[in-house]
Amino acid sequence: MLARLRHFFRTLTGRLLVSAFLWSAVALTVGGFVLSAAFRSYVLQDVDERLSVLLDTLVGSSEVGPDGVLRFNRPLVDERFATPYSGLYWQVSEEGAPPFRSRSLWDFELGNVHADRVFTLHIEEAPGPDGQRLRVAERDIILPEADRIFRYQVASDLGEVQAAIERFNQLLLQALGLIMGTLTAALVLQVAYGLRPLRTIGKSLADVRAGREARLPGDWPADLQPLAAEINALIDQNEKLVARARTHVGNLAHALKTPLAVILNEADADKSTRGATVGRAARDIKSHIDHHLKRARIAGGGSGPGLPVRERLDKLAKAIAAMHRHKDIEMNVDCAPALGFDGEREDFDEMLGNLMDNAGKWSEGKVSVSVRLVEKDLPRPMLEIRVEDDGPGVAEDQWPVLFERGRRLDEHVQGTGLGLAIVRDIVDMYGGTAWPEHATLGGLAIVLRLPGKLIPS
Amino acid sequence: MRILIVEDDEALARQMRDSLVEAGYAVDHTADGEDGHFLGDTEPYDAVVLDLGLPVLDGHSILKRWRSDGKVMPVLILTARDGWTDKVEGLDAGADDYLTKPFMMEELLARLRALIRRAAGQASATLTIGPLTLDTRSGKVSVEGKAVKLTAQEFKLLAYMMHHQGKVISRTELTEHIYDQDFDRDSNTIEVFVNRIRKKLGIEIVHTVRGLGYQLDWQGEGAGARTA
Repeated sequence: MLARLRHFFRTLTGRLLVSAFLWSAVALTVGGFVLSAAFRSYVLQDVDERLSVLLDTLVGSSEVGPDGVLRFNRPLVDERFATPYSGLYWQVSEEGAPPFRSRSLWDFELGNVHADRVFTLHIEEAPGPDGQRLRVAERDIILPEADRIFRYQVASDLGEVQAAIERFNQLLLQALGLIMGTLTAALVLQVAYGLRPLRTIGKSLADVRAGREARLPGDWPADLQPLAAEINALIDQNEKLVARARTHVGNLAHALKTPLAVILNEADADKSTRGATVGRAARDIKSHIDHHLKRARIAGGGSGPGLPVRERLDKLAKAIAAMHRHKDIEMNVDCAPALGFDGEREDFDEMLGNLMDNAGKWSEGKVSVSVRLVEKDLPRPMLEIRVEDDGPGVAEDQWPVLFERGRRLDEHVQGTGLGLAIVRDIVDMYGGTAWPEHATLGGLAIVLRLPGKLIPS
Repeated sequence: MRILIVEDDEALARQMRDSLVEAGYAVDHTADGEDGHFLGDTEPYDAVVLDLGLPVLDGHSILKRWRSDGKVMPVLILTARDGWTDKVEGLDAGADDYLTKPFMMEELLARLRALIRRAAGQASATLTIGPLTLDTRSGKVSVEGKAVKLTAQEFKLLAYMMHHQGKVISRTELTEHIYDQDFDRDSNTIEVFVNRIRKKLGIEIVHTVRGLGYQLDWQGEGAGARTA
């Protein structure tokens, strides 16, 4: 789990999602705190304003009578001043005398928040009756009639305000949560959408490697275009290198063959043991060259325009019939002209040439090659090519060794014994399959399944 | 039988030439494609051994030119390239057979014998007419199973006539097919060879067609052949 998570963080998707998520979470949290604080300060300011007005009214309506007693010349209208513990209180106190309080304070006496004299308005929080938390406005006043200092206090319960702030915070939290959720979903979508070309380019590359496509297609977002172009250039270069290497190997091998022919002939003409030794060595060289040259020749590429199978088979049939002229072989090719092989001409010739040549060697006069398209509905259609002869055939217990290197079931029929092994190698290179069957003509049938391509007429 | 070798590797060409001469063929050789094309175009060869990788004019082009000019002599292509695509291309260009380097001289000789025989319409490797047989593989001639010893020139002459038995063959044709181009030809020597062959075979089989040439034909035992 942890490893998977760590892996996720290493992906581009992971990085983008995690960083965007963290960033949004931080932004939303800060925003939430700011909003909450703003609301709180707004509400408190409102409370303070009301308290200040009430205090002014209280001061304005109070007078000291001739008897030296402070009284109010008009009543304070708010009912809450008369209801015990209502949450709205006033108190006027003079040092050394019992305080003069609103009815709502009942038996509670507001303490002095400030011990010193405060002749300007001060608003603080202080404990109130019944466990209330109070906002207390406090000011010392010297009334004009008397040279005495009175402390005026007006207080309001913060409970309601607190509840309002709490409700607001709750709402804020829900709203922010919803925004975060929506934002996360949007982020996932955005990352998935934004990174889709990257996934597509990966798939396209896989197609190229598997030979289903020759190159990356051209339509990419501008920031991926250079990458795609570079990859294509790299594939080009790779192909060129491979082609050059193959050409070099081919040229080297072919250049060696003529002098090798000379050595072999001289060695054969020399009947001494030295001649025999040289001859053996030269023949070893020849078999190495043949072996590696045949393999170097396998190109294994695909997804060009498609090789017209019918045309190649006709040419091969003609050539092979000519090579087995003395047997007068009837070569039957059954193939629709639109069928193409998704690969190189040399590879196709090598496979079918070997198979048809074998069929020609064994046949009594009839060789048939039939091609049909199978798995048409798959993105990659396959060709099924059957090469059969009317010869003696091969016993089923020999089938498993048919494609083995250096196997020749009958030493009398001339051949290198490399043919079917090469066919298998090429078929493997193209991700195809090859197997023997009993031919309807009576002899052996070899069936190949190879990547096909329809050629538009 | 006269054969043209077009091969630019001197050593290989010499080996082939030696082997072919030893096997009783008249052999011309050139290392250059242009020259090879000219020779094949103008001289009556019984077979051509043509290397594909040649200077000046490559083997494929030579072959295509010959075929489009209506030259039908059997051509054996010699090449280092042994891929099927190369084979198909070669045979498609009009080659009769295909031999890849390196090869055994026996293989070359066998292929050439088969080509020449096929071109002359002979199916078997042993040519027979009446009591006379010529084994093209061993180069042995026999009458009624008894071996007849012939010189190289006599053998060449008889072999050519046996490949074309029943046909009237002029002295010029014989000269052209048993001597290579460097040989100082004299068609009068043909008559000398024919007479010697007649004597060695001891049967009435080589007939003179007055004013035209010679014909190999067997009329049956009544024509004076010895019976065993």
